[in-house]
Amino acid sequence: MKELLKCEFLKTRKRYILLTALAITTADLCWVLYGNYSEDALAKGWMMFLYQLPLVNAIFMPLLSIVTASRLCDLEHRGVMLKQLCYISSRGRLYDAKLLYGLGIIMISLSVQFISVFIGGKILGFGGVFPAKLYFPYWLFTIVPTIAVYIVQHSLSLLIKNQAIPFFIGVIGEFCGIFSMFLSQLPLLRKLLIWGWFGALQFVGSDWDRETRIANYYLLDIDWIFFTITVIVTAALYFIGRKLFCESEV
Amino acid sequence: MNEIVHTHGLSKRYGEMLSVNNVDLLVKEGRIYGFLGPNGAGKSTTLKMLLDLVRPTNGEIDIFGKRFHRKNRIEILKNIGSLIESPSYYGHLTARENLRIFQIMLNVPDANIDEVLKIVRLDKQQTKKISAYSLGMKQRLGLASAILSFPKLLILDEPTNGLDPAGIQEIRELICSFPKQYGMSVIVSSHLLSEIDQMAEDVGVIANGKMLFQGSLSALHGMDNSKSLEEIFLELTGSEESL
Repeated sequence: MKELLKCEFLKTRKRYILLTALAITTADLCWVLYGNYSEDALAKGWMMFLYQLPLVNAIFMPLLSIVTASRLCDLEHRGVMLKQLCYISSRGRLYDAKLLYGLGIIMISLSVQFISVFIGGKILGFGGVFPAKLYFPYWLFTIVPTIAVYIVQHSLSLLIKNQAIPFFIGVIGEFCGIFSMFLSQLPLLRKLLIWGWFGALQFVGSDWDRETRIANYYLLDIDWIFFTITVIVTAALYFIGRKLFCESEV
Repeated sequence: MNEIVHTHGLSKRYGEMLSVNNVDLLVKEGRIYGFLGPNGAGKSTTLKMLLDLVRPTNGEIDIFGKRFHRKNRIEILKNIGSLIESPSYYGHLTARENLRIFQIMLNVPDANIDEVLKIVRLDKQQTKKISAYSLGMKQRLGLASAILSFPKLLILDEPTNGLDPAGIQEIRELICSFPKQYGMSVIVSSHLLSEIDQMAEDVGVIANGKMLFQGSLSALHGMDNSKSLEEIFLELTGSEESL
């Protein structure tokens, strides 16, 4: 596996895939951190971020996954490399190596986002102590949906030569996921869509007073059972994608 | 002489169409086997089945005297080099960088890269991006990747596609030298009779998925001494439509 990961690194030289991922993360951070913060907003800053970040993640994480997976897999399709690689190495290991490499890029981007949010909050002067106990579940509830979305994009991009198809599937999924977050009367919808999991796992709610224009944030019950289901579904998506790739013909 | 490849009733069906029909391919060690057939005859599908890129609908494959199955596929396939249909490459990398990836995956010495680049005469073009290569140069790179591990068996599907006459001559001589120089057995497919006539020792003729003739090239010529190879070939495949 070490050799295959090294090959993935060599293949992606001069393709600036990590740089592209970091550019998307920068856009994500600009969206998150830019704003005209009132004193009240600064005082509730950490909670405000916990409320806002799932929506921002529902927009940017699927986009990051679409771009990263597509660029990594397009390398193979363009040069018709799979017919060479699939007999040199086991297909399962090829699938895993490319997935791990892509997830590595995603994790670097997510880490940059997490660290920047923390530093950004400090620089902006958010009140109170950083609530690490609340940010840990947030971290978990961001990583698992991102991995699930990435696995779907990775499998589609590997299986389908024309990268426009995985791109459109990803974008449609992303839009459905975002809109499901605004349909509070249909909580099941966001649970059914992996792109909606960012919202389904959100555990901070908000009350916005129209007259005072002040938002209050409150904690919701964390649905650990649903989180467990997302982990199981993510594992299932991995096995299904891997099996489909292993059984595909080149 | 040992059998390097022996297929038993190999078939591949795509929906209603039987692409390869009950083919018994027999390739002997240290020989060049010419796989002849018109376009769409089933040559590439048969070769892809030998490489496990396409799964047979029916039949068995023995390679290096071992029955091919999922558990021993990597052990068998690591001794095979191939160039199927068109060369595979990463266009944004140089020839050396492309070969480096295969070298790591195949776990062969670094020195093999220089050797194969010299063999296919790309050593002076090794720092150029592949996207700037001509089709002939890409074909040479494909051949270099195929022989990088100096495998026991080399499978080449239309290896002279895109080459100029001098290039064709050069690659032909190169392929002919592989059995003696490196102990390789070679399967080379083509729809060009003259090419096979000048390279192969044994021949298989396939049309519409069926093996119509298999034996030595001299036996094929000997089928009718008054006729040219082209006439014999057309007689064999004449009633079959080329796609």
